[in-house]
Amino acid sequence: MLVGISLENKFTNTSKPKDCAEEMSALLMEVAAERCKRSYAKVFGYFAPRLRSYALKQMGNEALAMELVQDTMTNVWQKAHLFNSEKGSPSTWIFTIARNIRFDMLRKLQNRKEDICSDDLWPVLCEQTPDQNEVSLDQQVTLQQVGQLFNKLPDKQKAVIEAIYIDGKSQQEVADQLTIPLGTVKSRTRLALQRLKDMLEDHD
Amino acid sequence: MINYHPTDKQLRQFAEGNISSALALVAAAHCDVCSKCQAKVDDVNLELASDIENIKAHTFSDPAFDKMLASITQLPVLDAPVQKSPRIELDGRFFDVPRPLQRFVKKTGNWSKLLGKVWQAPVDLGEAGMAHFIYMEKGGRVPEHTHRGTEFTLVVNGEFSDGLADYDSGDLIVMDDEHIHSPHSNADDGCLVFSIVDKPLHFTSGIARLLNPFSHLFFK
Repeated sequence: MLVGISLENKFTNTSKPKDCAEEMSALLMEVAAERCKRSYAKVFGYFAPRLRSYALKQMGNEALAMELVQDTMTNVWQKAHLFNSEKGSPSTWIFTIARNIRFDMLRKLQNRKEDICSDDLWPVLCEQTPDQNEVSLDQQVTLQQVGQLFNKLPDKQKAVIEAIYIDGKSQQEVADQLTIPLGTVKSRTRLALQRLKDMLEDHD
Repeated sequence: MINYHPTDKQLRQFAEGNISSALALVAAAHCDVCSKCQAKVDDVNLELASDIENIKAHTFSDPAFDKMLASITQLPVLDAPVQKSPRIELDGRFFDVPRPLQRFVKKTGNWSKLLGKVWQAPVDLGEAGMAHFIYMEKGGRVPEHTHRGTEFTLVVNGEFSDGLADYDSGDLIVMDDEHIHSPHSNADDGCLVFSIVDKPLHFTSGIARLLNPFSHLFFK
């Protein structure tokens, strides 16, 4: 596979970044148009070692760093046709791909269930095909529902709940106002909330 | 006109990728409609990319890289999937949403009435938090509340006020436990917003206080 492809090339050693932006750009277009492995090898030779240094700093681990390099450079090979020199330099494009992959890798390492992925945030590459596993959402409790259920409470409980949660009174104030013991206010509140909770769950 | 932007620090963290998922999502949606902030992000990208170019790297041939190169060039080309632009439909009206939010249009649950003229539809963001699209008709008002955690709101379409300021399409609003507000819209076409909270709201007045004991039910 490697016949005719050498990692040693002039870019790696001598060129200044700005001098080679145009050349890298041209190489990427050759990769896009003709699947030119020789051109790709030059791009790889220039960016892969730099990406490794960047990735080592970011991930602090050689294996993860190499994974980041591999995933980034794989995208460069497979999606070279998405590179647009009018939008930016090859190095910016490749940096943003690496940034995206790192973002997703870090979330995977934290064992976070897929929530928001880099393709949503930074449309550097194509958007991924939409996830077909739609999540069915739990029913919502609305204020109207709570209001209806509230009306079903026994009058004594309703009076206590209304005074506390709507008028904003303290339990002691409610006890004084209704001339009932504080303990009764507390137990009515607890019972009423429990009842509302039960009704809400039945409602689902 | 957009008046409320992410801070420069938040935009830099966004460009670096060192940012929470929730803030990243609303920042991305904001940048999609705010060319000023997008330009700032582009500048940071450029700066970070040149850091990579100027990095000291081993330039000698490395067998691990040879192997990697060989395996990569065996892979097929990938086509970019067709981009769809799903829109939010509500009561016969269609709303365009910023590109970063489009994938979540499909993950949006049913609309339900929160109050007389306020509608909401939940959006599942996994572990990033609970989000809602909220639509206020003209004259609609969300009960006064404060926040147990942080609330990020992006104005998708329309205008609203909350007693603290007036907002327009594209504005990004960050609220926490230091803010009490009561969003309401007086715009003829109402206002559609996208809002993420990491902890339940705490309603501070009127009958809406009844919701507080059950606020965890909003965030299942």
